Amino acid sequence: MAKKTYDLLFKLLLIGDSGVGKTSILFRFSDDAFTSTFISTIGIDFKIKTVELRGKKIKLQIWDTAGQERFHTITTSYYRGAMGIMLVYDVTDERSFENIVKWLRNIDEHANEDVEKMILGNKCDIDGKRAVSKDRGDAIAREYGVPFLETSAKANTNIDKAFNDLATAILDKFAGKEPGDAPDRVMVDPRRGDTSRRSCC
Amino acid sequence: MSFNQDHLGIIQAKLSSGETASTCHEASLMQGCVCASRILALVEHEGEWALFIFISSRMPPEVFTDLAIERVIPIDNDFKCEIDAGEQSVDVYVNSRKLKLLFKMIPSIKTNNFVSEIMRSMEDLTKRRDPPPEFQWLHKYSGSSTSSRNKTDCESATTDITEDDASKEKMLDLDSPDIVVSRHSVAQGANPIAARENVIQHQMSLKENDYTYTQILRVFIGTWNVNGLPPTSSLTPWLASDMEPPDIYAVGFQELDLSKEAFLFNDTPREEEWRRSVIAALHPGANYKQVALVRLVGMMLILLVQEKHEKHVRNAAFETVGTGIMGKMGNKGGVAIRMEIHNTSMCFVNSHLAAHVEEFERRNQDYHDICSRLSFSKFSPPKVIDKHDQIYWLGDLNYRITEMEPRIVRDLISHNSLGALLECDQLNRQRSQKNVFSGYREGPITFKPTYKYDPGTDDWDSSEKNRAPAWCDRILWKGDGMDQKEYRSHPILRTSDHKPVSAMFESQVRVIDVVKYRRVHEEVLKKLDKLENEFLPQVTVDNTEIIFDVVRYLEAQSQELIIANTGQVPVQFGFIKKPDDSKFCKEWLNIDPAVSFIMPGEKCDVKLEVCVDKKSASKLNCGEDKLYDILVLHLEGGKDIFITVTGNYERSCFGSSIEALVHISVPVREISIGRLVELEKGEPPGGMEPYPIPKEIWFLVDHLYRHGLKKQNLFLLPGLNSELIAIRNWLDNGSSEPLPGSLHSIAEALLLLLESTAEPIVPFNLHSVCLGAASNYLQCKQIVMQELPEYRKNVFLYLCFFLQELLSHANENGLDAKTLATVFGGIFLRDPPRLSARGRGNLTAMDRKKASFVYHFLVNDLSDYVTSKVLHLGPTT
Ligand SMILES: Nc1nc2c(ncn2[C@@H]2O[C@H](COP(=O)(O)OP(=O)(O)OP(=O)(O)O)[C@@H](O)[C@H]2O)c(=O)[nH]1
Ligand SMILES: [Mg+2]
Repeated sequence: MAKKTYDLLFKLLLIGDSGVGKTSILFRFSDDAFTSTFISTIGIDFKIKTVELRGKKIKLQIWDTAGQERFHTITTSYYRGAMGIMLVYDVTDERSFENIVKWLRNIDEHANEDVEKMILGNKCDIDGKRAVSKDRGDAIAREYGVPFLETSAKANTNIDKAFNDLATAILDKFAGKEPGDAPDRVMVDPRRGDTSRRSCC
Repeated sequence: MSFNQDHLGIIQAKLSSGETASTCHEASLMQGCVCASRILALVEHEGEWALFIFISSRMPPEVFTDLAIERVIPIDNDFKCEIDAGEQSVDVYVNSRKLKLLFKMIPSIKTNNFVSEIMRSMEDLTKRRDPPPEFQWLHKYSGSSTSSRNKTDCESATTDITEDDASKEKMLDLDSPDIVVSRHSVAQGANPIAARENVIQHQMSLKENDYTYTQILRVFIGTWNVNGLPPTSSLTPWLASDMEPPDIYAVGFQELDLSKEAFLFNDTPREEEWRRSVIAALHPGANYKQVALVRLVGMMLILLVQEKHEKHVRNAAFETVGTGIMGKMGNKGGVAIRMEIHNTSMCFVNSHLAAHVEEFERRNQDYHDICSRLSFSKFSPPKVIDKHDQIYWLGDLNYRITEMEPRIVRDLISHNSLGALLECDQLNRQRSQKNVFSGYREGPITFKPTYKYDPGTDDWDSSEKNRAPAWCDRILWKGDGMDQKEYRSHPILRTSDHKPVSAMFESQVRVIDVVKYRRVHEEVLKKLDKLENEFLPQVTVDNTEIIFDVVRYLEAQSQELIIANTGQVPVQFGFIKKPDDSKFCKEWLNIDPAVSFIMPGEKCDVKLEVCVDKKSASKLNCGEDKLYDILVLHLEGGKDIFITVTGNYERSCFGSSIEALVHISVPVREISIGRLVELEKGEPPGGMEPYPIPKEIWFLVDHLYRHGLKKQNLFLLPGLNSELIAIRNWLDNGSSEPLPGSLHSIAEALLLLLESTAEPIVPFNLHSVCLGAASNYLQCKQIVMQELPEYRKNVFLYLCFFLQELLSHANENGLDAKTLATVFGGIFLRDPPRLSARGRGNLTAMDRKKASFVYHFLVNDLSDYVTSKVLHLGPTT
């Protein structure tokens, strides 16, 4: 009898310019709520949320960082250890989009090499003031080979999907890399695991 | 961490007289998925035991005031303790009335000892002959609660000593997060994953009703002692006498084979013979699948379920226990099969207990042996019989009718007066005395004794032993939702000297509704997440931008930062280093406290003090550093808050280099900041002819020269801070007033001026040369004259000359060359900032060398090279 189903802990990070909606995205995901008042994050905070993917319970620990410029050197020190990073820009703010490249460079410099990335164009609910078309988002994502979604924390568009996709990417990589520790096999009877390994070698 | 005698002492100090803490241990109390650190202690008072649960403000506790009693649980008949020992943790479930607590302990010998002490205290209770304990001594604890936490209701601490309904399910009461927690890190903590899984399982089991429904299964239980004989007739009248087919069959035999071979080698053809005849006689109304068959010598048990239930059966297992010859052999004992059907666990035990009329105590003993020795070892931890939702116990239990003549027994039976006989039945008596089968029930017996007949007949035993008839063959049960519909014997089966017995139960099993299960499971996860997030440390700070207005040299300023714990849990906070920094704040900043602890609802005032002193002034003066710092306030196990500290530094001659000062003819405040920075960078000065030494040094020395030559302890006694500030203002701003301050303050100002520069008078790179030459005046002289940068050489010689003047008044001022050499050795040859932090031991030798270097210049005639220019300069030249 498998006494314990195996549990995994993934550490994710939200980065991007101030005001793009990082805190709102996390608040929507963890508490299913939204507020329009802007309280800029002065520091770094996290929430946890458990999701089930491919039949596995995965605990996500999601870190929300301060986007303000003056904190950049400090916040980059939190990149290490993150297994997935979401780069958020605001579709109504051209500059925040242009800065995505800078954030990507930051990741290269400070995060683990194999970190999974994802670009989010947030506030897609606002149509009138849109400054960055979806095509441009797609293009930059293609250029850097990073998955891309347009999201809205306000309208709850693609928020769950963004986290699930990112976590799935981590899970899949995990499963592909170390067959011995692959989460898929964790629950398998050790004897059966043995035979299957023997037969494939 | 290991708990030792000291901790026991601390706990003992917390108790009243007459109470003795016998042992204590650290444990984590599981509250939701939150792990809270506790100390458990076993406390005795006049033979009564109680489990004390302490919260400690630090781990391990250091004094008894660190401890608060959270709960006191009397170890009485309601106290239950179950242990689930895993590899990573020992889970101890404590149950008392409606209180349920789960403690996790780290597996160790200490843990084992502690748990066995609890068990021992429980045993003490059962051995007790006196009246049941009353626990009067615990009443005084029923009001105790932990300090400073506001409980919304009376459920809190120890009310469970008196009956208290509100305290049920305390451990996992997800809807009331205001449980007391001094928690370890949750989100990053070491143990969350396994612990969480346990909690989820526990939560799910508590919510079983929400995702299961009951289904009634008909359970047929049969038992027959076949006296070593093979089957001779169909078993249909026994196994298929009811209208409806049972869902489950558990059929047990005893004395299947009495041969030596069977006994010694546990091998017999009878097993298959009887199995076949059972299969052949099953109810024709359904198809059955065998779940398991187990046999030990003559005891055999076969478990079958209807085909349609097969896929709902999980985790079937069997075990045997021999209690026969030498307490081990299988001629007596028990065999058992367990399974889970849907969400209900069932255990079937077939036992053959010790024979002989007078041996009822052996039979009791056999029962207890089976209970304690039979465990299904394929589970971890192994499952014992008692750990099942439903237990069916059948067999030849061998209890007899005593204290009655066999003749009378038969007589009563023939008159169908079973009542009087049942009163003399040993099993009934032993059960009513709680010596055996406690917690089990048995249906009313309406059938004649099933033993002992002449085989092949319905006649009582006619052998010369002339045994009294007895109800040897019995069926008992334990568990919820079990309803016995039939309890009967089947005299028509005459193969043996026993008659078979059977019972039919309508038993409720819990069936999982998959859709509901998933929903409840999701809810549980969500609630645990919510709880976990709520239990993260939370604080608010009143200000994340601390702005100091104008900050001046040596003038400390402070501001308060108020950190309020707005969360549910105590918060341990601390300022932490940023990457690449050597300290959590700049050297001109002081934080007090930099690390502390705040209880929920409480606040902590943190004092931020800015003070620019000799260590930090030069960097701020030359623009290398700014009054700007971002502090990282870290909550242990939680978030970080950034606090920005800014201020405007007012530049001063203190902290300016000698080289810059000689180029400034006006008070420092009168030139622009940009110009000062340029001078510090060594940019080519324009205009004025530089002074040989900074005018500020001249002012100070000149004053001392004129007024202080006879002053005692000059340079040895400290000045006053307020006077130092007045002197600073005088120097920086210029004034027509005379230089303020006492002579001691002026002397100290001079030292500070020399100490606040980035480099000392003797540049760092010359220190080792100087120290190497320290014993040789000529070499020292050469270094000073040839190696020192021009203006610093001037200052050096100027000061030495002045010190010689002072020494020439030694009679009045009491100074001596050695003392002054020591003071100025440390100043002229000031260590680089890093070095001065090192251990003192090494430095004394170095200090002596520095002093001897300077000493030469205090006792030798300097008039050769101290030019009149140096000596007679003044700000007006
Ligand atoms: N219309 C709309 N507004 C949004 C959306 N997401 C966030 N906002 C608003 O944008 C503002 C900034 O959101 P935050 O989530 O605080 O931004 P942030 O990225 O955390 O900013 P920093 O903490 O300073 O780094 C808030 O006023 C939000 O209400 C969205 O999807 N649609
Ligand atoms: Mg934010």
